[in-house]
Amino acid sequence: MTDQLTYPDVVQLAVPFFIAAILLELAWIVIKGRGGRYETRDALTSLIMGAGNVASGILLGFIAWGFFMLLWQITPLDLGTSWYVVVLCFVLDDLRYYWVHRFGHRIRWVWASHVNHHSSQHYNLTTALRQTWTGTFTFMMIVRAPLILLGFHPAMVLFCGGLNLIYQFWIHTEAIGKLPRWVEAVMNTPSHHRVHHGRNPRYLDCNYTGVFIIWDKLFGTFVPELDSEKVDYGLVHNLGTFNPLRVAFHEWAGIFRDMTRRGLTLRERVMYAIAPPGWSHDGSRDTSDEIKRKHLAARPEDAGTPGF
Amino acid sequence: MSLEILGILVVAGIGGIAVLLHLLGLSNGRRFDGKDDARAAWLREFPDRDATDILLSDDARAALIRGPDGLGVTWCFGADTVARPLVDYDIVSKTDGIQIVFHDIAAPRATIRLSPTAVTRWQEWMRPE
Repeated sequence: MTDQLTYPDVVQLAVPFFIAAILLELAWIVIKGRGGRYETRDALTSLIMGAGNVASGILLGFIAWGFFMLLWQITPLDLGTSWYVVVLCFVLDDLRYYWVHRFGHRIRWVWASHVNHHSSQHYNLTTALRQTWTGTFTFMMIVRAPLILLGFHPAMVLFCGGLNLIYQFWIHTEAIGKLPRWVEAVMNTPSHHRVHHGRNPRYLDCNYTGVFIIWDKLFGTFVPELDSEKVDYGLVHNLGTFNPLRVAFHEWAGIFRDMTRRGLTLRERVMYAIAPPGWSHDGSRDTSDEIKRKHLAARPEDAGTPGF
Repeated sequence: MSLEILGILVVAGIGGIAVLLHLLGLSNGRRFDGKDDARAAWLREFPDRDATDILLSDDARAALIRGPDGLGVTWCFGADTVARPLVDYDIVSKTDGIQIVFHDIAAPRATIRLSPTAVTRWQEWMRPE
C-alpha cells in the first residue's frame, strides 16, 4: 500500500497567480469601466479571509489528514497513482464537493463555516478568496471518507481538492459574460456561479457545483442566469461589518445564542444547529424555501420559471 | 514554497492591492440619492416590511425608516447598503450625531451623522410610543 505519496500544495503555489489575476481584473474594470466593482475595505476583508484560510489549513490540517490516514490504514483497496486514477479522483471529488457545498447551504452548522464566502456584496476575484477559517469544525471531512475507502490515496484526494478550489477562483468574476454553449452545458462558469452568489429569491440555493455543472443538472439544483434578472450579490440580510473576526465567526455566535435561549425544547435547540439557515422555533425568520414562497405569493407569474 | 516566501507574498499582495484600490478612489463610500434610494435599500433587505416615512441623515449615508411593522434603519456600507429593524439596540450620542449600537455580532453599529436639530427629530421618531 502506498503510504508515502506526496503532491505539491497547489493552492499555495497558485497564490502569485491569484494576485496577478486580481490585478488584471482590476485593470480591466478600471480601463473598460465595466465588468465588475471593487471597494477597498470589501476587497481587503476578502483577502484577509483568504490568508486566514491558508493559515487555518496549516494549523488545523493535521486533523483531517490524521482522519484520512486512519481510513487509509483500514481500507484494503489501493487504486494506485496512474494518471487516469487521478482524473477519476478529480471527477469524484467534484461530486463530493457538490454535496459538501449543498450541505453548506442547507445545514446551519455547515453554513456557519460557509456563510463568510457569501458575505460580500461584491463579486470579483477577491470574493473567491473570502474563504472559511472554520471548515474543520463542520466535520465535512467525513464526506471524503468514501473516496479514501475506495482506494484513492489521501494525498491524491487533497491534491484534487486543491485543483478544484483553484478552478473555482476564476469563475468569481463579472468580467466574463457567457461562454460557448458546450462549456456552459458541462462546466461551472462565471455565469453559473454568479447565480449561486445571488440573494434574489430566484437564485437562492442553487448551482452548488465546483467544476462540472452536470451535478446540479443531475440533482435538480441548476438555475441559469437570466438576462431579465440581474444577480444581487450577498446575503439575505447583509453584514454590517468588515471585521474579519466577525465575518468568520458571526454565524457560529448566532447558533450558540439561539441554542442557549431559555424555554426551548431539546429538539428546538438541535434544530437551530442542523435545520436550514433561517429556521426558527417560532417562525419569526425565513428559510430560503419560505422566501421563495413569499416571492411567489407576491408575483405568481414567476411560478414555473427557473428557480421557482 | 517555504512559509517565509508564502508569508511575504501574502502580506505584500494584500497590502499592495489595498493601497492600489485606495489610490484608485475605490474607498469612497456610497450615499443615498434621495429618499427613494433609501427606500429601495430598505426593501432590498426587507421586501415585506413597507417604508412609509423616511428620514435621511445629514450626509445622506443613513436613513431612518418608519412603516406599519415598526422602525428600521438602512445605512451605506462601503459601496453598498445594510438594513436592520430597530429592535434590541442602544443609542450613543456623538459630537456629530448618534451611533446606533445593535446587539448583533454581524452588524454591531451604525454611525449616523446628524445636526443637533436632526438628532432631536430622529430621537422623536425613535421614542417608544
